[in-house]
Parts: sequence; C-alpha cells; structure tokens
Amino acid sequence: MNKGLKGLESKVLNQGLCTACGACLSLCPYLRSWKGRAVKLHDCDLSEGRCFSFCPRTEVDLDALHHSVFGKEYDEIETGPVRRVVMAKALDSVFTKRAQNGGVVSALTALALEEGMIQAAILTERDAELLPQGRIARTKNEVVSCAGSSYVTGYSLEALNRGPWQGEERIGVVGLPCQVLALARMKASSLEKRTPVDRIDLVVGLFCTWALDYQPFAGFLKEKFGDKPIEKLDISPPPDRLLHVMVSNKLHQIPLDEIRAFIRPSCQVCLDMTAELSDLSVGTVEGEEGWNTVIVRTAKGEDLLGRAEAKGVLETRAYPEDKWDHLKMASILKKQRGLTALNKVQEKYVTLRQEVIDAILKEVTP
Amino acid sequence: MSLIAQDAPGKTILLMGNEAIARGALEAGVKVAAAYPGNPSSEIIGSLASAAGTLDLHAEWSVNEKVAMEVAAAASFAGLRGLCAMKQNGLNVACDFLLNLNLSGTQGGLVVVVADDPGGISSTNEEDSRIFAKLGDLPLLEPATFQEAKDMTRWGFTLSEDLGLPVLVRSVTRVSHARGNVRLDALPRQATKPRFDTSRPRLAFPPMPSHKALHQKLDRARSAVETSPYNFYRGPEKPELLLITSGSGWMYSLEAVMNLGVQDRVGLLKLSTTWPLPANLVLKHLKPAETVLFVEEVDPFLENNVMELFAQHCMDLGLKRFYGKASGTMPSAGEISPEIVCAALQEMLHVRYEPRPQEYAIKAHEAAAELVPARALGFCAGCPHRATYWAVKQALALDGREGFVLGDIGCYGLGTGPSGFSQMKTIHAMGSGAGLAAGFGQLERFGLSQPVLAVCGDSTFYHAAMPALVNARYNGANFVLLLLDNSATAMTGFQPHPGTGRTATGSEAPVLDLRAICESLGAKVQVEDPFDLGATTEAMVNFLQDKEGVKVLILKRECALVRSKRQRKLYHVEVNPERCLGEKCGCNRLCTRIFKCPGLYWDSATGKAGIDEAICTGCGVCAEICPASAIRKEVA
Repeated sequence: MNKGLKGLESKVLNQGLCTACGACLSLCPYLRSWKGRAVKLHDCDLSEGRCFSFCPRTEVDLDALHHSVFGKEYDEIETGPVRRVVMAKALDSVFTKRAQNGGVVSALTALALEEGMIQAAILTERDAELLPQGRIARTKNEVVSCAGSSYVTGYSLEALNRGPWQGEERIGVVGLPCQVLALARMKASSLEKRTPVDRIDLVVGLFCTWALDYQPFAGFLKEKFGDKPIEKLDISPPPDRLLHVMVSNKLHQIPLDEIRAFIRPSCQVCLDMTAELSDLSVGTVEGEEGWNTVIVRTAKGEDLLGRAEAKGVLETRAYPEDKWDHLKMASILKKQRGLTALNKVQEKYVTLRQEVIDAILKEVTP
Repeated sequence: MSLIAQDAPGKTILLMGNEAIARGALEAGVKVAAAYPGNPSSEIIGSLASAAGTLDLHAEWSVNEKVAMEVAAAASFAGLRGLCAMKQNGLNVACDFLLNLNLSGTQGGLVVVVADDPGGISSTNEEDSRIFAKLGDLPLLEPATFQEAKDMTRWGFTLSEDLGLPVLVRSVTRVSHARGNVRLDALPRQATKPRFDTSRPRLAFPPMPSHKALHQKLDRARSAVETSPYNFYRGPEKPELLLITSGSGWMYSLEAVMNLGVQDRVGLLKLSTTWPLPANLVLKHLKPAETVLFVEEVDPFLENNVMELFAQHCMDLGLKRFYGKASGTMPSAGEISPEIVCAALQEMLHVRYEPRPQEYAIKAHEAAAELVPARALGFCAGCPHRATYWAVKQALALDGREGFVLGDIGCYGLGTGPSGFSQMKTIHAMGSGAGLAAGFGQLERFGLSQPVLAVCGDSTFYHAAMPALVNARYNGANFVLLLLDNSATAMTGFQPHPGTGRTATGSEAPVLDLRAICESLGAKVQVEDPFDLGATTEAMVNFLQDKEGVKVLILKRECALVRSKRQRKLYHVEVNPERCLGEKCGCNRLCTRIFKCPGLYWDSATGKAGIDEAICTGCGVCAEICPASAIRKEVA
C-alpha cells in the first residue's frame, strides 16, 4: 500500500476526508492549499511520505498516540485525559472584544508568550474573505489579531512547515481536534521530518463539533451579503441553533440547517470533540455566555492555567457538575456518531481496541 | 548575394528543393511572391525574400495563406507573374479563394506551390493536396527531382499564362527539403509594367458559363501535358510489370529497380503532370502491361485517376491487375521509401534482395543508438512554453473545476505531450483553439461547469484567431485565451510576423500590438512574463474564475532560440548538491522528473540534480520551482 501522496490522494483527498488541518502542506511542491482546498499539483511516486505520515485521517492508532503524549493508553474515553476542568474568562477586554466567548485562548497564548513558556505560537487568522490561514504570532498584538472564529478550517498547521522560523526553541500551537491529532501524528512519525514539530512545547486545543468547507460557505455568504465584509460570525448554543452574522454593524440570523450542507465530510468520522491530545482544551460553556470551558490535561497545561490565575489573567470558577455531565455526553455522542459513520465509509483511518469501541457505544445516551 | 539570385546560366549548384522552386520562379521573372510559413514549404519565400534585394521583386510573409494567394493573384490580374507557397493545411485555408479564382481566371502567370508533408512530420495532419487540382479543374505539376523543381516551376508560369489559370505545383518533404544539383538557366531581363485591365473584370460568376469555360481550359491543358518532357517512360517495350509513379516516388522506384536489377522486367512510367493526365501516354504504356503498380505519396491519386482512365478504355486495353494502395501493396498512409518500393517489387517479382546483411544492420543500429541521446519530443531548454504550461497545470489544478486547454498550431502544440505536462486537449487548424473556445464558452447555460482555456501563438493569432475572438466577443462567449507571444513564427524557422516590426525582406514595419488589438475587441487583457510563474499562475486563475466574457492573458517572452542567437545566457544556473533533496520526500526530483527541462539532468550516482551547461540557456525558471532552493541563478 502506498504511504505517500498517492495513498493520501486515494484514502483521504479523493474520499472527501481531508480535514484541512494543514499538516501535509508546505512540505513539498506537490500539494498546496488554495481557497480552502488541498490541491495536488503533480504526481509523486514515493512509496512513503510525510504528507501521509502526518495526516490525521491515515493510520491513526489512538493508543500509540496517547502513549506518546500522555504516557498511557487511550482509556479516558469520554473527553480524553482530564486533570482539572474549570469555567474561565479573560479579564483583559482586549481579549474578550473579538472573542467567541471568554477570550481564554488568546489570553492564555499571550501569557505563554509573555512568560517565555513559548517563543512563538501558530494561530489561525482570517483574511477579508474569511479564508483562514496559519500565522506565526510572537506578540500579544499578533495574538489578538487572530481572535475569533469563522467555523472554517484553514490549513493553519501549514505555518509550522512553512515558517519562517527565527530559531525559536519553544513553539505553541492552537488547533482544532484534527490539528491536535495531526501534531501528535507528526511528532510520532518515524520519517525524517525537516519541520520544527519536535520544538512544539504547548498545544492548546479547541472544542469542535464540526467545521465548514470554505468555498461553499464563502459562496453562500457572498450570495447573501454581497461583497460587504463579514464583521463577526457566531453560532449560538442550543436550543436556538442559529448562525449570527454581523455585517455593516447589523446582526443577521441564519438557521444552522441552511449551512449544514457545508460541513466537511471528514467531520462525520471525527471521534474528538474536545481536542483530546492537547495540553489543555478550551471551548464554550453551554448556557453561560462569555465563559469558556477549560480542560487541563497535562502538567504543562496545569502550569499555564495556574500562572493565568495567579497573574489575574483569567477569572476561573469551579465547573458545574451538571454541565460537566452534559459536556461528556456531547463528547460521547460525537464519538458514537463518528463510529457509526466510520462503519459506512471505505477508509477506516483509526485503530481502536475493541473494548474501547464497545465502551463508547455502551455509554447510555439520553 | 543570395544563392538563388546569381546570374550564372549553365552553372550547376547544390540547391534545396525549395530553393530550386524559388530559382525557377526567378527565372520566370516572378514579381510578387507571398506565403505564410509552414513546413515543408517555408524556405520558398524565405529564399525569394533574400533575393528581393538584388532582383526587383516583392516577397512577403502574409498573415495567412488565403491572403498570400490573393496577394499573388493581384499581381497576376495586373499582368505580372506571381507565386504563393504553402503547406497542405495552407491550401485548405486558401481554397475558398482558389475555387473562385479558377473561374475568374488569371492574367500573368500564377503558380501555387503546395508542399505536402507525408507522414505529418511537422504537421498536425497528413493530407494529399493534389485532390484540389481535380476539385478545381486546375493543372497539377509534380516535380520529381531538384532540377525539375526549378524547371517545372518556371514552366508553370508559362502554362498558367497559356491557359489563363493558376497552376498548382505539388512538392513533398523529400523534394522540398532534400538537396541536389541544379543547372541554372538565365534570369530574365525585360520588365512588364503592371496594369489591371478594367475591361476584363475578374469575376467568378455567373458560375455556370464560367465553369464550362474552365472545363474548356482544362481540355487545352490536356493537350499541353501530352507533350511535356517531364513525363516519360523508361523500360522494356513489353514489361512484366508497369510501375507508374510521380513526385518523390520516381527516385525511390528508380533506386528500387536498379538495386533489384530488374530493369529488363519493370517499365517505369514517370508522370510529372498528374492532373490532367497525359491520357495518350498513359494508355500507350498501359496496353502492353498486364500488371501495374502505383508508387506515390500520400493518397491513391494517380492510382484512382489512371484506373478511371483504364475504365473508359478497358475494351481496348484488356484485363489488368492493379497494385497500389487499394490492394494493400503500398502503405495507405505515411511516407514511402526505396525500401517500401523494394519490398513491393520483391513480392510481386519473386526476387530476393538484401540491401545489407542482417547482422550488419543490427550492429549499425546499435552503434547509432549509442550516439543519439534518448530525448523525448519536447520544448527546447529555456522555452517559455514549458513555463507557460507549468503555470497552466497549476492554475487548472487550483481552480479545481476540470478546466482544459484547447490547442492551436505552433511549437506550443507540444503541450499535448509530457513536455507541456499533457495539458493541451485539442489541436486542429490555425485559430481553432480560440474558435472552439468561442463554442465551449457558450455551453455554461447547458450546465458545462468546466472553465475553458485556449492557447494561441502570436503568429497564429494574426493568422486565424482574430476572427474567433471577434466572434466570441460579439456572441458573448466566456473563456480565457492565452496568447503566447514569443515574438516569432518559431516552429517554421523564426519568420517575422505583423507583431515583430520587420518584413520578410528585413525592412522595418509597423508593429501591430497584440494588447491593443485585443483591447480594441473588448477583451480584458493582462500581460505577464511566463518566467514569473507565480504572477502568471495567479493571473490565469483569476481569469479562469472571472465568469464574464473574453479574457486574454498575453504571455510575453521571446523564443529561447531567437534570443540565444542574439544574447548570452540570462543567468548562470547551478545546483548546490548540499541542498538538493534529490529523491527525498519534499522534492522527489521535481526538476528532472516533472519539470523535465532538457538543461537539467539527474545524476543517479550521487542522487542529485545537475545543470547541463551545454544545453542550459539560463532562463532560471528551474530555480523558481526548486523546493529546496538548491538551484541558484546568478545574472550572467
């Protein structure tokens, strides 16, 4: 079986399973992204390549990856390893102004830079056309300019491969679950990497239920709003299920069902809502506007959150029991949907012990 | 001093067939010669243009063959002698005019030279243009030797004036492009003053009486060719086999008969006036023969016409067996050769002949193979078209809607093959890329979702793409035209064209600016340098995604061969082996496996790419594509 570009093409790109994480890009001249799509420009006949080896939709062995990140197999099946979980929000309004919720991701990233825990961070920024792309941030201002979301994945890990790097020894990454998975795959790859993945010292994960495919979504917005710039996008939590779009200082509400068709097919087979292979993960808190959920998974994550609390960067609160149960249920439901979907597709990218599969499927859902 | 312009009657010189044709025209006192370049005919006007300085004549590269024929016909209408030259495809372009000119008739001698390309060595098609002579009721001359190429061209002018008809001279590659001894005759001294006789308007219509008059002229031609010294018979009185041949077939047949030593068994009827046929001569030699073989390139023109004649006279001639293309004895397509004629004769006469021992043939082949480098048909090192197609490949991939390239005639036609990354998907006639695009560009309303890209060279643009562009604009078609402006008619030998600022004779001419023309037609126009791969790709993608109207992307970069005649290398290019990734992930020999410029080589011993100094023209494009920045360019 080809484990190079040919394999990536047949097992991922042509199956619609690309997550647009960006791990395969800027490694070679054969693949590049363009307007939210990974495009193969030429045929590569190598039997083994980094594109395939780094991809979060090829040969994912969750036990092996959890071993490499957490030193143990995949056993916390609900939301991945948890050391601590809190509700948090940033106290500096510069972070909350553009933020989706509590501005925690930007605040933590800026703090990690300030504290020297990392010297640069790979973030995602959006251009005027909402097209996301990877960006290397080294200052607080650069971090702030990347705040917010367009609910579109945009190959931002490409920035890791592309650089330019200035000799940074400690790099942070903020990524979606698929990107966090890709980072673990990159680290674990046995190939000669020639990309600074081994200098990644901090991984901040983002919760994700699904992400949109850029081109059809951008086309949809263009049809609705013309060339007027989109100022902010937000999805309100259940039960209203609306996409809020701010255009010319005016709020428009679009039912989520209108954009569901643009969800990337690769999201259907995703088993991870909370970015489990990270140092800490951040998401919304259902029913609490302006707050984030923070799941701390590693000592490094714990250190960062601790510093943020000590320095008054974040305000944190104990996580309500009922909301935690709800979050775990949502996470398990995504895994169950993903496993069901995987049964229906030809390419099973993930290897899980049968007992883990059974455990996920056994979880009682309301 | 031009080789063909020397005033040295009686002198024998070595001439290419096309030069001999040009010399024949000079000896006939030709005053106007026009053509659009096309192999294998290009050297006819090329050499006449070089003689224009010493002899008083007008030689021009016209924008297309139809205009060339019209320019030459104007000279004829004014009482001067005119010549136009073209390849087989060119006659297709000009035939609309030709098939009216036959009816309106001519005044001064008018010779139409058409050089066919059997096997399509430098053509998109293979075609036997002799059928036009029959179609147009026009006399057809087929020179078989270099001397005949000159002499028959000269005679063509006289014949044309005698009949009041244009005369077709048909050559083929091996007559036009080979060289042989030609004995020169005198150049004329007297000059004719041109005048268009307004009392004799040149009208094709009313067609019916004109057509009838044309047939009467053809009848006169029938008697004229009966006594032509260029038709003759060589062989025994009652041959076992009558071989009827014309053009290049004559020399091949002669060689085959001599090699086989069957001169006493085979009669050779060599015809050089193949339409109308010298009927009496043919009938005379058909009568004693029972078996007849036809040797000719390309179609069974002679074969069919002789058999037609036989059918009219078969009661007198008795039964015959005819061999040729219809019987499968001779190939139905492609060039013929002495070997092919030899093989046919061996079979028919049951003789054995081995031109050389088999063992020697194998050794010779092996020895030759060592000397010839293995090289695919492709663009030259430093050719702008390679860079263009690289950008096309990327732009179409990025656009992602399965766009395609409609091709046209020129070097860039190699875009169908690996050298152009197999991007070109159609190739037909001059201007057909833009023409097809004008059609494809209407299909969106029926659901065609693929973007349409046409390519066209600068010379091709003036030749036939302009009407297609006008049509597209008028009818609202949506497509992108890549106008590959390499400032030459490169494929046929760098002839100047209306955009180059020079005429056929080298004098200055106004430049017909491509950008201004396209803009005046209402197209959106952008100009890029194809060597700037990034900007070119971006411009292409942007145009592809623009759904409105005709977009023209002019890719301007001089032909590498033209430039190298004038300038040294732009860049000194070298590979830093330390940085070269070779077959590693991250490159996998992009430059030598995918880009494949012949200036690059792969050193399998070191696992690194290298630059072949002798071949590299220093365009520097490979430095742009190298993912490891291992290829460096420095201004030379």
